Amino acid sequence: MSIEQIAAKVRSGERVRAEEALDLYRHAPTPVLGRLADSVRARKHPGGIVTYIIDRNVNYTNVCVAKCNFCAFYRPVGSAEGYVLGFEELFRKIDETIAVGGVQLLLQGGHNPDLPLTWYEDLFRAIKGRYPAFKLHALSPPEVIHLSRLSQLPVADIIDRLKAAGLDSIPGGGAEILVDRVRRLLHCYGKATADEWLDVMRQAHRAGLRTTATMMYGTVETDEERLEHLLRLRALQDETGGFTAFITWSYQPSHTELGGVEATGVDYLRTLAIARIVLDNFDNLQASWVTQGGKVGQLSLAYGANDMGSVMIEENVVRAAGAAYCMDEVEIVRNIEDAGFVPMRRNMHYEQLGDPMFRQRDVPRMLELATARAAGEATIPAELRLYPARSRLLKAQRSSLESQDKT
Amino acid sequence: MPVSDAELALLAVSHDIVSIGMQADEVRRARHGTRTTFVRVAQIAADPGAPILALPAAGEMCITGTPASRAAAIERVRQVATAAGNIPVSAFSLADLEQLAVAEGIGLRVLLEDLRAAGLELIADAPIDRLRDARRSIEEVNIAGLVLARLTIHQDRSPDPLSVFKAVATLQRAVGVVRAFAPLPRAIDAARPTTGYEDVKRVALARIVADSVPSIQVDWSLYGPKLAQVALTVGADDVDRVSPEDDQTAGPRRAPLEEIRRNIRAAGLEPVERNGRFDIVRPFESPRVMSSAAGGGAAHDERAR
Repeated sequence: MSIEQIAAKVRSGERVRAEEALDLYRHAPTPVLGRLADSVRARKHPGGIVTYIIDRNVNYTNVCVAKCNFCAFYRPVGSAEGYVLGFEELFRKIDETIAVGGVQLLLQGGHNPDLPLTWYEDLFRAIKGRYPAFKLHALSPPEVIHLSRLSQLPVADIIDRLKAAGLDSIPGGGAEILVDRVRRLLHCYGKATADEWLDVMRQAHRAGLRTTATMMYGTVETDEERLEHLLRLRALQDETGGFTAFITWSYQPSHTELGGVEATGVDYLRTLAIARIVLDNFDNLQASWVTQGGKVGQLSLAYGANDMGSVMIEENVVRAAGAAYCMDEVEIVRNIEDAGFVPMRRNMHYEQLGDPMFRQRDVPRMLELATARAAGEATIPAELRLYPARSRLLKAQRSSLESQDKT
Repeated sequence: MPVSDAELALLAVSHDIVSIGMQADEVRRARHGTRTTFVRVAQIAADPGAPILALPAAGEMCITGTPASRAAAIERVRQVATAAGNIPVSAFSLADLEQLAVAEGIGLRVLLEDLRAAGLELIADAPIDRLRDARRSIEEVNIAGLVLARLTIHQDRSPDPLSVFKAVATLQRAVGVVRAFAPLPRAIDAARPTTGYEDVKRVALARIVADSVPSIQVDWSLYGPKLAQVALTVGADDVDRVSPEDDQTAGPRRAPLEEIRRNIRAAGLEPVERNGRFDIVRPFESPRVMSSAAGGGAAHDERAR
């Protein structure tokens, strides 16, 4: 089948098969891909509305036993640079988020063996007790699997308990490429196989939670494997309909063990466009301006994206790997309108909340993102001592502190 | 086929950047095919006391900044030309030289001839929005035996860039010596940076309107790899100011030379290195078959074109 025949199929709303998607991805000129993706976006969002959310991306701990070789954020257990945020610190971040119109915390972190399931339950209940309307979009599938292994409970039970404690939805992090050959090479097979990642999402959808899906490309995968990832997501969405959105970004190589180079801007636009075409059962595609910069982020709106993601107040993971772009609400709204779209605030379920809050620059333009923890601050949250230590290093530290207390 | 004023006005207000880009890309391909040139530029301060770093990989040694006096300008050009060997030397903004000539009470041509005698080959840039008399000054450059390296825009914040692009086209019809035009402003307002749509539309419209200018240029160091690469798909065919320092501390694949080549190839184009004289210094090397597994981007081709 020629590119034009496949394009006609897309334009008529027919689903593309794997080999057709690969042909398009490899051989269609970039503007053709863009136009096709834009036609799918326009069909799904005929009003020309582009949404965004005001939330805060908080990483509650950087201590992680997964040791993925593409990650520049994690610190091993016992590292002097390791941290866990205390409940009070998290409340302060929520207060700041609400002050600028934020409605949600995107809460993700490392696989810290010293944070048991009860720590998460207590945290979620405490947050919901203080901020009942505030949403918790928290714990990506590998974190859920980590808790399942740590507490020796089935994934479905973990999800039920977290949901009962206040979890509203699950972010699609940790998907990387949902092909086990790739996951082995990236040292992330152990944290979650492709099937395990998908099964967490399946269980979450069955439990009534909505989730997002992601793809980090540009490491060791082939074009076929990128498409396999998309097709597996499409199949699960056919089954459950639980995904609200898809977000893709390029691997950020700085300060990582894997190293290498970042995929180019044109590659990002092509990948976004093919995702819009293949994921015909996903309503929303986000632009990853955090990794691509505001300019290519805005151009994403011509290549299939209908959402500008989050007005970023804090981000730590891709920042650690070299990405340093930042836009406040005024900037995001200006970019949306300049591209000919109508900006609208949303929540995690992509329900429209209203017009932009800050039309004028009432708040100073944030030139630098907040970080998880101020440099040099190394206090251990008091409530951590309420939970039993599991790692050898933390047990030794506790024992030493107890000895000091006695003397 | 020439584009009418009415069609241009429609393009200028359109949000359909993909279509505008396709139209500009057709003009670019008719002139250059997939060939995409780039130049590695060593930037040297105008102060005669500042060090001159010898960078043999540079295709152009460019003296940047405003000269303090005629004597200082001549002395600096002489110093850099001596250090440059066979590398073409460019220097100064033509707008600054206009002002310097007035301040020194001499004609612009006299100043330009002095600089040429000191070893200068190229005037680094001519910002059309800062020149007192663009046509006359560029003709003086030509008469003095110098070459204009690039026509630029200093700080045009007009929402309608068509008028300035039409002025560039008119200027080129008069002088015929503009080799490259960089349509994105050099001065960026950090408090209100241009958007991706604005930049892409500017590049595309510049290619369509200034069709008698051979090359539409994008500045690699000023606009960054991602936007510069996209610009190459919407009308630009030349990448300016690539670093001549082939720093391989982050690995050979992240060194500037490999990065520019990878970006051009990943856009489906052919990288060709040139120097400041627009001579090809490194011919196109057959692209390796790249796969995304190499981390360098999707291995798309343009066979369907």
